[in-house]
Amino acid sequence: MKSSLLWKRVWRHKLFYLFLLPGIVWFFIFSYVPLYGLQVAFRDFTFVGGFTGSPWAGLKYFRQFFDYYQSSDIIRNTIVISLMKLLVGFPMPIILAILLNEIRNLKFKKTIQTLSYLPYFVSWIVVVTLMQRLLSMYGGPLNDLLSSFGAHPVQFMNNTTWFYPLVLGSDVWKNIGWNSIIYMAAIAGIDQQLYEAAKIDGASRFRQIWHVTLPGIRNIAVILFILATGSLMSAGFEQLLLLNGPATASIGSVLDVHVITSGIQQGRLSYAAAVGLFQSGIALILIVTVNWIARKVSDVSLF
Amino acid sequence: MGALYFYPRKFTLDNYAQVFDNRQIWQAYKITILRTVIGTAAHVLLCTLMAYALSKKTLPGRTFFTFYIFLPTIFSAGFIPYFITLQKLHLINSFWVYVIPMLFNFMHVVIIRTFLQGIPEEIEESARIDGLNDFQIFVRIILPLSGPVIATISLFIGVAHWNDWFTGAYYVSDKNLIPVQTLLQQMLTEAEALSSSMQRAAQQGGQTVNVNMAGATPESMRMALLVITVFPILCVYPFLQRYFVKGVMIGSVKG
Repeated sequence: MKSSLLWKRVWRHKLFYLFLLPGIVWFFIFSYVPLYGLQVAFRDFTFVGGFTGSPWAGLKYFRQFFDYYQSSDIIRNTIVISLMKLLVGFPMPIILAILLNEIRNLKFKKTIQTLSYLPYFVSWIVVVTLMQRLLSMYGGPLNDLLSSFGAHPVQFMNNTTWFYPLVLGSDVWKNIGWNSIIYMAAIAGIDQQLYEAAKIDGASRFRQIWHVTLPGIRNIAVILFILATGSLMSAGFEQLLLLNGPATASIGSVLDVHVITSGIQQGRLSYAAAVGLFQSGIALILIVTVNWIARKVSDVSLF
Repeated sequence: MGALYFYPRKFTLDNYAQVFDNRQIWQAYKITILRTVIGTAAHVLLCTLMAYALSKKTLPGRTFFTFYIFLPTIFSAGFIPYFITLQKLHLINSFWVYVIPMLFNFMHVVIIRTFLQGIPEEIEESARIDGLNDFQIFVRIILPLSGPVIATISLFIGVAHWNDWFTGAYYVSDKNLIPVQTLLQQMLTEAEALSSSMQRAAQQGGQTVNVNMAGATPESMRMALLVITVFPILCVYPFLQRYFVKGVMIGSVKG
Protein backbone atom coordinates (compact mmCIF):
# COMPACT_ATOMS: atom_id res chain seq x y z
CA MET A 1 0.00 0.00 0.00
CA LYS A 2 2.65 2.45 1.12
CA SER A 3 5.07 1.49 -1.61
CA SER A 4 2.44 1.98 -4.30
CA LEU A 5 1.81 5.47 -2.94
CA LEU A 6 5.53 6.26 -3.19
CA TRP A 7 5.61 4.81 -6.69
CA LYS A 8 2.70 7.10 -7.62
CA ARG A 9 4.60 10.12 -6.31
CA VAL A 10 7.72 9.07 -8.19
CA TRP A 11 5.72 8.58 -11.37
CA ARG A 12 4.13 12.00 -11.02
CA HIS A 13 7.65 13.49 -10.93
CA LYS A 14 8.93 11.53 -13.93
CA LEU A 15 9.80 14.65 -15.91
CA PHE A 16 11.91 15.95 -13.01
CA TYR A 17 13.86 12.71 -12.83
CA LEU A 18 14.51 13.10 -16.54
CA PHE A 19 15.84 16.60 -15.80
CA LEU A 20 18.08 15.14 -13.07
CA LEU A 21 19.40 12.29 -15.19
CA PRO A 22 22.22 14.07 -17.10
CA GLY A 23 23.55 15.48 -13.83
CA ILE A 24 23.39 12.13 -12.03
CA VAL A 25 25.32 10.47 -14.85
CA TRP A 26 27.85 13.33 -15.09
CA PHE A 27 28.61 13.42 -11.36
CA PHE A 28 28.93 9.63 -11.40
CA ILE A 29 31.48 9.68 -14.24
CA PHE A 30 33.49 12.76 -13.32
CA SER A 31 33.37 12.61 -9.50
CA TYR A 32 32.61 9.08 -8.33
CA VAL A 33 34.54 7.09 -10.94
CA PRO A 34 37.75 9.04 -10.09
CA LEU A 35 37.08 8.40 -6.39
CA TYR A 36 36.90 4.69 -7.16
CA GLY A 37 40.04 5.14 -9.25
CA LEU A 38 41.95 6.43 -6.23
CA GLN A 39 43.05 2.84 -5.68
CA VAL A 40 45.72 3.36 -8.36
CA ALA A 41 47.69 5.01 -5.54
CA PHE A 42 48.04 1.50 -4.10
CA ARG A 43 48.65 -0.23 -7.43
CA ASP A 44 51.30 -0.27 -10.14
CA PHE A 45 49.12 1.46 -12.66
CA THR A 46 49.25 0.41 -16.29
CA PHE A 47 46.91 1.87 -18.85
CA VAL A 48 45.88 -1.59 -20.08
CA GLY A 49 45.16 -2.82 -16.57
CA GLY A 50 43.12 0.23 -15.68
CA PHE A 51 41.81 1.06 -12.22
CA THR A 52 41.24 -2.49 -11.05
CA GLY A 53 43.39 -4.69 -13.29
CA SER A 54 46.82 -3.34 -12.32
CA PRO A 55 48.80 -5.31 -9.70
CA TRP A 56 48.70 -4.20 -6.06
CA ALA A 57 51.72 -2.27 -4.80
CA GLY A 58 50.70 -1.54 -1.24
CA LEU A 59 52.21 1.62 0.22
CA LYS A 60 55.16 1.59 -2.19
CA TYR A 61 54.34 4.95 -3.75
CA PHE A 62 53.64 6.67 -0.45
CA ARG A 63 57.02 5.44 0.78
CA GLN A 64 58.60 6.65 -2.47
CA PHE A 65 57.21 10.14 -1.84
CA PHE A 66 58.39 10.34 1.76
CA ASP A 67 61.80 8.97 0.79
CA TYR A 68 62.12 11.59 -1.95
CA TYR A 69 64.74 14.04 -0.74
CA GLN A 70 62.58 17.06 -1.58
CA SER A 71 59.29 15.84 -0.10
CA SER A 72 59.67 17.66 3.21
CA ASP A 73 60.54 20.87 1.31
CA ILE A 74 57.49 20.47 -0.88
CA ILE A 75 55.18 19.94 2.08
CA ARG A 76 56.73 22.87 3.94
CA ASN A 77 56.45 25.19 0.93
CA THR A 78 52.82 24.25 0.43
CA ILE A 79 51.96 25.00 4.04
CA VAL A 80 54.01 28.22 4.17
CA ILE A 81 52.45 29.62 0.99
CA SER A 82 48.88 28.71 1.85
CA LEU A 83 49.27 29.91 5.46
CA MET A 84 50.54 33.23 4.13
CA LYS A 85 47.57 33.43 1.81
CA LEU A 86 45.23 32.58 4.67
CA LEU A 87 46.71 35.02 7.18
CA VAL A 88 46.92 37.95 4.75
CA GLY A 89 44.45 37.01 2.05
CA PHE A 90 41.62 36.12 4.41
CA PRO A 91 41.25 39.40 6.39
CA MET A 92 41.93 41.66 3.38
CA PRO A 93 38.44 41.32 1.77
CA ILE A 94 36.85 41.90 5.18
CA ILE A 95 38.83 45.12 5.60
CA LEU A 96 37.95 46.21 2.06
CA ALA A 97 34.25 45.54 2.63
CA ILE A 98 34.24 47.52 5.89
CA LEU A 99 36.10 50.42 4.28
CA LEU A 100 33.73 50.42 1.30
CA ASN A 101 30.80 50.42 3.67
CA GLU A 102 32.13 53.56 5.34
CA ILE A 103 32.38 55.47 2.06
CA ARG A 104 29.48 57.85 1.72
CA ASN A 105 30.19 58.98 -1.85
CA LEU A 106 28.22 56.40 -3.88
CA LYS A 107 29.92 57.10 -7.18
CA PHE A 108 33.39 56.65 -5.71
CA LYS A 109 32.27 53.47 -3.95
CA LYS A 110 30.86 52.01 -7.19
CA THR A 111 34.05 52.80 -9.08
CA ILE A 112 36.21 51.10 -6.46
CA GLN A 113 33.94 48.06 -6.48
CA THR A 114 33.98 47.74 -10.27
CA LEU A 115 37.75 48.05 -10.36
CA SER A 116 38.37 45.63 -7.51
CA TYR A 117 36.17 42.84 -8.91
CA LEU A 118 37.76 42.99 -12.34
CA PRO A 119 41.06 41.10 -11.70
CA TYR A 120 39.06 38.04 -10.67
CA PHE A 121 37.87 37.74 -14.27
CA VAL A 122 41.34 37.83 -15.76
CA SER A 123 43.16 34.53 -16.11
CA TRP A 124 46.35 33.72 -14.19
CA ILE A 125 48.20 33.42 -17.45
CA VAL A 126 47.35 37.04 -18.30
CA VAL A 127 48.29 38.19 -14.80
CA VAL A 128 51.67 36.46 -14.94
CA THR A 129 52.38 37.69 -18.48
CA LEU A 130 51.68 41.24 -17.30
CA MET A 131 53.82 40.80 -14.19
CA GLN A 132 56.67 39.52 -16.26
CA ARG A 133 56.38 42.51 -18.59
CA LEU A 134 56.01 45.15 -15.85
CA LEU A 135 58.74 43.77 -13.61
CA SER A 136 61.21 42.78 -16.31
CA MET A 137 64.86 43.76 -15.89
CA TYR A 138 65.09 44.45 -19.58
CA GLY A 139 62.96 47.51 -20.10
CA GLY A 140 60.21 46.79 -17.58
CA PRO A 141 58.46 50.04 -16.57
CA LEU A 142 59.09 49.54 -12.86
CA ASN A 143 62.81 49.07 -13.33
CA ASP A 144 62.90 52.02 -15.75
CA LEU A 145 61.34 54.11 -13.01
CA LEU A 146 63.80 52.82 -10.39
CA SER A 147 66.79 53.52 -12.62
CA SER A 148 65.50 57.03 -13.36
CA PHE A 149 65.92 57.60 -9.61
CA GLY A 150 69.42 56.22 -9.91
CA ALA A 151 68.70 52.84 -8.34
CA HIS A 152 70.09 49.58 -9.67
CA PRO A 153 67.63 47.43 -11.60
CA VAL A 154 66.03 44.74 -9.46
CA GLN A 155 65.36 41.23 -10.66
CA PHE A 156 61.83 40.64 -9.35
CA MET A 157 60.79 37.50 -11.23
CA ASN A 158 62.57 34.19 -10.62
CA ASN A 159 64.24 35.54 -7.51
CA THR A 160 63.86 33.89 -4.13
CA THR A 161 63.88 37.24 -2.30
CA TRP A 162 60.85 38.52 -4.19
CA PHE A 163 59.05 35.24 -4.78
CA TYR A 164 56.77 35.13 -1.74
CA PRO A 165 55.85 38.84 -1.88
CA LEU A 166 54.92 38.42 -5.55
CA VAL A 167 52.91 35.24 -4.95
CA LEU A 168 51.06 36.83 -2.05
CA GLY A 169 50.63 40.23 -3.71
CA SER A 170 49.24 38.88 -6.96
CA ASP A 171 46.91 36.53 -5.10
CA VAL A 172 45.49 39.34 -2.96
CA TRP A 173 45.22 41.66 -5.97
CA LYS A 174 43.31 39.06 -7.96
CA ASN A 175 40.87 37.95 -5.27
CA ILE A 176 40.36 40.78 -2.77
CA GLY A 177 37.46 42.44 -4.59
CA TRP A 178 35.64 39.29 -5.48
CA ASN A 179 35.86 37.87 -1.97
CA SER A 180 34.64 41.15 -0.51
CA ILE A 181 31.27 40.85 -2.31
CA ILE A 182 30.02 38.25 0.14
CA TYR A 183 30.95 40.47 3.11
CA MET A 184 29.33 43.47 1.46
CA ALA A 185 26.16 41.38 1.20
CA ALA A 186 26.36 40.45 4.88
CA ILE A 187 26.93 44.08 5.88
CA ALA A 188 23.97 45.16 3.76
CA GLY A 189 21.85 42.69 5.72
CA ILE A 190 22.65 44.28 9.08
CA ASP A 191 19.67 46.02 10.67
CA GLN A 192 20.18 49.79 10.34
CA GLN A 193 18.50 50.30 13.72
CA LEU A 194 21.56 48.75 15.38
CA TYR A 195 23.68 51.58 13.96
CA GLU A 196 21.10 54.15 15.08
CA ALA A 197 21.08 52.72 18.57
CA ALA A 198 24.89 52.70 18.69
CA LYS A 199 24.96 56.33 17.56
CA ILE A 200 22.50 57.36 20.26
CA ASP A 201 24.73 55.61 22.79
CA GLY A 202 27.51 57.86 21.56
CA ALA A 203 29.53 55.22 19.71
CA SER A 204 32.17 56.57 17.33
CA ARG A 205 32.56 55.21 13.78
CA PHE A 206 35.23 52.81 15.03
CA ARG A 207 33.06 51.62 17.93
CA GLN A 208 30.20 51.09 15.46
CA ILE A 209 32.42 48.94 13.25
CA TRP A 210 33.65 46.99 16.26
CA HIS A 211 30.27 46.42 17.93
CA VAL A 212 27.85 46.27 14.99
CA THR A 213 29.58 45.55 11.66
CA LEU A 214 32.02 42.90 12.83
CA PRO A 215 29.46 40.81 14.76
CA GLY A 216 27.21 41.13 11.71
CA ILE A 217 29.70 39.40 9.42
CA ARG A 218 31.02 36.96 12.00
CA ASN A 219 29.01 33.92 10.88
CA ILE A 220 29.87 34.21 7.22
CA ALA A 221 33.52 34.80 8.11
CA VAL A 222 33.63 31.60 10.19
CA ILE A 223 32.12 29.56 7.34
CA LEU A 224 34.56 30.98 4.81
CA PHE A 225 37.43 30.37 7.21
CA ILE A 226 36.49 26.69 7.55
CA LEU A 227 36.37 26.40 3.77
CA ALA A 228 39.74 28.15 3.47
CA THR A 229 41.43 25.74 5.87
CA GLY A 230 40.27 22.91 3.62
CA SER A 231 42.61 24.23 0.95
CA LEU A 232 45.64 24.61 3.24
CA MET A 233 47.27 21.67 1.48
CA SER A 234 46.86 23.25 -1.93
CA ALA A 235 48.70 26.49 -2.52
CA GLY A 236 46.99 27.42 -5.80
CA PHE A 237 48.36 25.35 -8.65
CA GLU A 238 47.58 27.70 -11.56
CA GLN A 239 49.49 30.59 -10.04
CA LEU A 240 52.45 28.51 -8.85
CA LEU A 241 52.70 26.46 -12.01
CA LEU A 242 53.22 29.76 -13.84
CA LEU A 243 55.25 31.76 -11.30
CA ASN A 244 57.59 29.07 -10.04
CA GLY A 245 60.72 28.25 -12.01
CA PRO A 246 64.04 26.49 -11.49
CA ALA A 247 65.46 29.56 -9.73
CA THR A 248 62.75 29.57 -7.06
CA ALA A 249 62.11 25.81 -6.85
CA SER A 250 63.59 25.47 -3.36
CA ILE A 251 60.87 27.68 -1.88
CA GLY A 252 58.26 27.47 -4.64
CA SER A 253 57.68 23.75 -5.30
CA VAL A 254 54.31 22.78 -3.88
CA LEU A 255 52.24 19.61 -3.67
CA ASP A 256 49.70 20.48 -6.38
CA VAL A 257 52.39 21.28 -8.91
CA HIS A 258 54.40 18.21 -7.91
CA VAL A 259 51.35 16.03 -8.60
CA ILE A 260 50.90 17.55 -12.05
CA THR A 261 54.55 17.47 -13.10
CA SER A 262 55.29 13.96 -11.81
CA GLY A 263 51.97 12.51 -12.95
CA ILE A 264 50.98 14.12 -16.20
CA GLN A 265 54.34 15.31 -17.51
CA GLN A 266 56.53 12.40 -16.33
CA GLY A 267 53.79 9.78 -16.53
CA ARG A 268 54.33 8.43 -12.97
CA LEU A 269 50.60 8.12 -12.43
CA SER A 270 50.50 5.85 -9.37
CA TYR A 271 53.12 7.91 -7.57
CA ALA A 272 51.30 11.17 -8.32
CA ALA A 273 47.98 9.65 -7.26
CA ALA A 274 49.55 8.70 -3.93
CA VAL A 275 50.83 12.25 -3.41
CA GLY A 276 47.40 13.59 -4.34
CA LEU A 277 45.69 11.22 -1.93
CA PHE A 278 48.03 12.29 0.86
CA GLN A 279 47.15 15.90 0.02
CA SER A 280 43.37 15.47 -0.03
CA GLY A 281 43.44 13.22 3.02
CA ILE A 282 45.16 15.89 5.10
CA ALA A 283 42.77 18.49 3.65
CA LEU A 284 39.78 16.41 4.74
CA ILE A 285 41.17 15.98 8.27
CA LEU A 286 41.84 19.73 8.48
CA ILE A 287 38.39 20.77 7.33
CA VAL A 288 36.61 18.34 9.65
CA THR A 289 38.76 19.40 12.63
CA VAL A 290 38.34 23.12 12.07
CA ASN A 291 34.62 22.61 11.49
CA TRP A 292 34.42 20.77 14.83
CA ILE A 293 36.35 23.49 16.67
CA ALA A 294 34.20 26.20 15.10
CA ARG A 295 31.03 24.44 16.19
CA LYS A 296 32.31 24.15 19.76
CA VAL A 297 33.58 27.72 19.99
CA SER A 298 31.13 29.75 17.95
CA ASP A 299 28.05 27.60 17.21
CA VAL A 300 28.66 28.26 13.51
CA SER A 301 29.72 25.38 11.32
CA LEU A 302 29.66 24.22 7.75
CA PHE A 303 28.17 20.79 8.45
CA MET B 1 67.27 45.10 -29.78
CA GLY B 2 66.26 48.70 -29.20
CA ALA B 3 65.78 50.13 -25.74
CA LEU B 4 62.30 49.98 -24.25
CA TYR B 5 60.87 52.98 -22.53
CA PHE B 6 58.23 53.62 -19.90
CA TYR B 7 56.10 55.43 -22.47
CA PRO B 8 55.42 53.89 -25.87
CA ARG B 9 57.68 55.39 -28.45
CA LYS B 10 55.13 55.35 -31.17
CA PHE B 11 51.45 54.44 -31.40
CA THR B 12 50.83 51.63 -33.85
CA LEU B 13 48.22 49.04 -34.69
CA ASP B 14 50.71 46.97 -36.70
CA ASN B 15 51.02 44.41 -33.91
CA TYR B 16 47.31 43.67 -34.08
CA ALA B 17 47.48 43.33 -37.84
CA GLN B 18 50.33 40.87 -37.31
CA VAL B 19 48.36 38.94 -34.69
CA PHE B 20 45.38 38.59 -36.96
CA ASP B 21 47.63 37.56 -39.85
CA ASN B 22 48.94 34.65 -37.81
CA ARG B 23 47.06 31.49 -38.74
CA GLN B 24 47.74 29.71 -35.43
CA ILE B 25 46.31 32.60 -33.44
CA TRP B 26 43.17 32.64 -35.57
CA GLN B 27 42.71 28.92 -35.04
CA ALA B 28 43.23 29.28 -31.27
CA TYR B 29 40.78 32.16 -31.09
CA LYS B 30 38.23 30.07 -32.97
CA ILE B 31 38.66 27.21 -30.47
CA THR B 32 38.25 29.61 -27.56
CA ILE B 33 35.05 31.10 -28.97
CA LEU B 34 33.60 27.70 -29.88
CA ARG B 35 34.28 26.13 -26.50
CA THR B 36 32.97 29.18 -24.67
CA VAL B 37 29.73 29.35 -26.64
CA ILE B 38 29.00 25.61 -26.69
CA GLY B 39 30.28 25.02 -23.15
CA THR B 40 28.33 27.91 -21.64
CA ALA B 41 25.05 27.09 -23.38
CA ALA B 42 25.19 23.40 -22.45
CA HIS B 43 26.30 24.11 -18.86
CA VAL B 44 23.56 26.65 -18.20
CA LEU B 45 20.85 24.48 -19.74
CA LEU B 46 21.81 21.29 -17.89
CA CYS B 47 22.43 22.98 -14.54
CA THR B 48 19.08 24.77 -14.79
CA LEU B 49 17.26 21.52 -15.54
CA MET B 50 18.90 19.84 -12.55
CA ALA B 51 18.31 22.83 -10.28
CA TYR B 52 14.64 23.01 -11.26
CA ALA B 53 14.14 19.36 -10.36
CA LEU B 54 15.96 19.85 -7.04
CA SER B 55 13.86 22.93 -6.26
CA LYS B 56 10.72 20.75 -6.16
CA LYS B 57 10.09 20.15 -2.46
CA THR B 58 7.74 17.25 -3.29
CA LEU B 59 10.36 15.31 -5.28
CA PRO B 60 11.07 11.92 -3.65
CA GLY B 61 14.80 11.50 -3.05
CA ARG B 62 15.55 15.23 -3.24
CA THR B 63 17.83 15.25 -0.16
CA PHE B 64 19.71 12.22 -1.41
CA PHE B 65 20.39 13.75 -4.82
CA THR B 66 21.55 17.02 -3.25
CA PHE B 67 23.97 15.12 -1.02
CA TYR B 68 25.09 13.03 -3.99
CA ILE B 69 26.28 16.13 -5.85
CA PHE B 70 27.62 17.84 -2.67
CA LEU B 71 29.91 15.05 -1.47
CA PRO B 72 32.59 15.43 -4.19
CA THR B 73 33.12 19.07 -3.18
CA ILE B 74 34.30 17.93 0.28
CA PHE B 75 36.51 15.09 -0.86
CA SER B 76 37.73 15.00 -4.44
CA ALA B 77 39.87 12.31 -5.96
CA GLY B 78 42.48 14.74 -7.27
CA PHE B 79 44.15 15.14 -10.63
CA ILE B 80 45.44 11.70 -11.43
CA PRO B 81 42.34 9.49 -11.19
CA TYR B 82 40.49 12.29 -12.97
CA PHE B 83 43.11 12.36 -15.71
CA ILE B 84 42.93 8.57 -16.14
CA THR B 85 39.14 8.83 -16.36
CA LEU B 86 39.47 11.41 -19.14
CA GLN B 87 41.89 9.06 -20.92
CA LYS B 88 39.53 6.11 -20.62
CA LEU B 89 36.72 8.23 -22.04
CA HIS B 90 38.95 9.13 -25.01
CA LEU B 91 38.54 12.79 -24.18
CA ILE B 92 42.28 13.48 -24.22
CA ASN B 93 43.22 15.34 -27.38
CA SER B 94 39.61 15.92 -28.34
CA PHE B 95 37.66 19.17 -28.54
CA TRP B 96 35.07 17.78 -26.12
CA VAL B 97 37.56 17.72 -23.26
CA TYR B 98 36.85 21.45 -23.03
CA VAL B 99 33.11 21.04 -22.84
CA ILE B 100 32.03 17.78 -21.19
CA PRO B 101 34.12 17.87 -17.98
CA MET B 102 32.78 21.37 -17.29
CA LEU B 103 29.09 20.60 -17.83
CA PHE B 104 28.11 20.73 -14.15
CA ASN B 105 29.15 22.60 -11.04
CA PHE B 106 27.69 22.03 -7.59
CA MET B 107 27.70 25.70 -6.54
CA HIS B 108 26.03 26.78 -9.77
CA VAL B 109 23.25 24.23 -9.32
CA VAL B 110 22.72 25.47 -5.75
CA ILE B 111 22.61 29.12 -6.83
CA ILE B 112 20.01 28.41 -9.55
CA ARG B 113 17.99 26.19 -7.21
CA THR B 114 17.85 28.87 -4.52
CA PHE B 115 16.75 31.43 -7.10
CA LEU B 116 14.02 29.14 -8.45
CA GLN B 117 12.73 28.48 -4.93
CA GLY B 118 12.10 32.22 -4.68
CA ILE B 119 9.53 32.09 -7.50
CA PRO B 120 6.06 32.04 -5.86
CA GLU B 121 4.39 28.65 -6.18
CA GLU B 122 1.07 30.31 -7.05
CA ILE B 123 2.46 31.18 -10.48
CA GLU B 124 3.05 27.52 -11.27
CA GLU B 125 -0.27 26.53 -9.72
CA SER B 126 -2.29 28.93 -11.85
CA ALA B 127 -0.41 27.81 -14.97
CA ARG B 128 -1.29 24.21 -14.13
CA ILE B 129 -4.94 25.19 -13.77
CA ASP B 130 -4.69 26.80 -17.19
CA GLY B 131 -3.81 23.35 -18.51
CA LEU B 132 -0.03 23.59 -18.94
CA ASN B 133 1.96 20.42 -18.25
CA ASP B 134 5.24 20.32 -16.30
CA PHE B 135 7.38 20.72 -19.39
CA GLN B 136 5.38 23.68 -20.70
CA ILE B 137 5.55 25.32 -17.28
CA PHE B 138 9.33 25.00 -17.31
CA VAL B 139 9.72 26.43 -20.81
CA ARG B 140 7.06 29.15 -20.73
CA ILE B 141 7.02 30.23 -17.07
CA ILE B 142 10.21 29.25 -15.26
CA LEU B 143 12.82 29.94 -17.94
CA PRO B 144 11.57 33.47 -18.77
CA LEU B 145 11.57 34.32 -15.05
CA SER B 146 15.14 33.03 -14.55
CA GLY B 147 16.85 35.67 -16.66
CA PRO B 148 18.99 37.21 -13.88
CA VAL B 149 20.31 33.93 -12.50
CA ILE B 150 20.99 32.57 -15.99
CA ALA B 151 22.96 35.72 -16.77
CA THR B 152 24.98 35.24 -13.57
CA ILE B 153 25.82 31.61 -14.20
CA SER B 154 26.58 32.33 -17.87
CA LEU B 155 29.12 34.91 -16.80
CA PHE B 156 30.73 32.56 -14.23
CA ILE B 157 31.05 29.62 -16.57
CA GLY B 158 31.72 31.72 -19.66
CA VAL B 159 34.71 33.36 -17.98
CA ALA B 160 35.90 29.98 -16.70
CA HIS B 161 35.84 28.66 -20.27
CA TRP B 162 37.44 31.74 -21.73
CA ASN B 163 40.24 31.81 -19.15
CA ASP B 164 41.04 28.10 -18.95
CA TRP B 165 44.56 27.44 -20.17
CA PHE B 166 45.22 24.32 -18.11
CA THR B 167 43.05 21.89 -20.10
CA GLY B 168 44.68 22.94 -23.35
CA ALA B 169 48.17 22.70 -21.87
CA TYR B 170 47.91 19.29 -20.19
CA TYR B 171 45.07 17.35 -21.80
CA VAL B 172 45.58 18.40 -25.43
CA SER B 173 48.67 18.13 -27.59
CA ASP B 174 47.14 18.77 -31.03
CA LYS B 175 48.29 22.28 -31.99
CA ASN B 176 45.06 22.97 -33.87
CA LEU B 177 42.96 22.36 -30.76
CA ILE B 178 44.72 24.80 -28.43
CA PRO B 179 42.78 27.83 -27.12
CA VAL B 180 44.20 31.35 -26.96
CA GLN B 181 45.04 31.20 -23.24
CA THR B 182 47.16 28.09 -23.72
CA LEU B 183 48.92 29.74 -26.65
CA LEU B 184 49.68 32.69 -24.39
CA GLN B 185 51.03 30.30 -21.76
CA GLN B 186 53.32 28.62 -24.29
CA MET B 187 54.66 32.01 -25.34
CA LEU B 188 55.20 32.95 -21.69
CA THR B 189 57.19 29.77 -21.09
CA GLU B 190 59.30 30.52 -24.17
CA ALA B 191 59.90 34.08 -23.02
CA GLU B 192 60.86 32.94 -19.53
CA ALA B 193 63.36 30.47 -20.92
CA LEU B 194 64.81 33.25 -23.04
CA SER B 195 65.01 35.74 -20.19
CA SER B 196 66.69 33.23 -17.88
CA SER B 197 69.28 32.44 -20.53
CA MET B 198 69.85 36.19 -20.88
CA GLN B 199 70.37 36.42 -17.12
CA ARG B 200 72.80 33.55 -17.24
CA ALA B 201 74.69 35.22 -20.08
CA ALA B 202 74.78 38.50 -18.17
CA GLN B 203 76.03 36.80 -15.00
CA GLN B 204 78.80 35.11 -16.94
CA GLY B 205 79.80 38.52 -18.26
CA GLY B 206 78.99 37.57 -21.81
CA GLN B 207 77.27 39.76 -24.34
CA THR B 208 73.49 39.43 -24.21
CA VAL B 209 73.49 39.92 -27.96
CA ASN B 210 74.75 36.38 -28.35
CA VAL B 211 71.58 34.87 -26.93
CA ASN B 212 69.61 33.12 -29.60
CA MET B 213 66.44 35.14 -30.16
CA ALA B 214 64.99 32.79 -32.73
CA GLY B 215 61.97 30.78 -31.65
CA ALA B 216 60.62 33.33 -29.20
CA THR B 217 57.55 35.36 -30.07
CA PRO B 218 58.23 39.09 -30.18
CA GLU B 219 57.08 40.80 -27.00
CA SER B 220 54.86 43.29 -28.84
CA MET B 221 52.97 40.42 -30.40
CA ARG B 222 52.49 38.71 -27.05
CA MET B 223 51.08 41.91 -25.61
CA ALA B 224 48.73 42.29 -28.57
CA LEU B 225 47.55 38.72 -28.04
CA LEU B 226 47.06 39.49 -24.36
CA VAL B 227 44.89 42.47 -25.23
CA ILE B 228 42.67 40.47 -27.56
CA THR B 229 42.16 37.80 -24.89
CA VAL B 230 41.18 40.28 -22.20
CA PHE B 231 39.18 42.66 -24.38
CA PRO B 232 35.96 40.59 -24.71
CA ILE B 233 35.78 40.17 -20.93
CA LEU B 234 36.23 43.91 -20.44
CA CYS B 235 33.35 44.45 -22.87
CA VAL B 236 30.73 42.24 -21.20
CA TYR B 237 31.86 42.74 -17.62
CA PRO B 238 30.27 46.14 -16.85
CA PHE B 239 26.87 44.99 -18.12
CA LEU B 240 26.84 41.83 -16.06
CA GLN B 241 28.25 43.28 -12.85
CA ARG B 242 24.94 43.72 -11.04
CA TYR B 243 23.94 40.16 -11.95
CA PHE B 244 27.03 38.48 -10.58
CA VAL B 245 26.91 40.48 -7.38
CA LYS B 246 23.37 39.15 -6.96
CA GLY B 247 24.53 35.64 -7.81
CA VAL B 248 27.21 35.68 -5.14
CA MET B 249 24.63 36.89 -2.63
CA ILE B 250 22.18 34.11 -3.49
CA GLY B 251 25.03 31.63 -3.15
CA SER B 252 26.04 33.02 0.21
CA VAL B 253 22.57 32.70 1.72
CA LYS B 254 22.45 28.98 1.08
CA GLY B 255 25.96 27.68 0.70
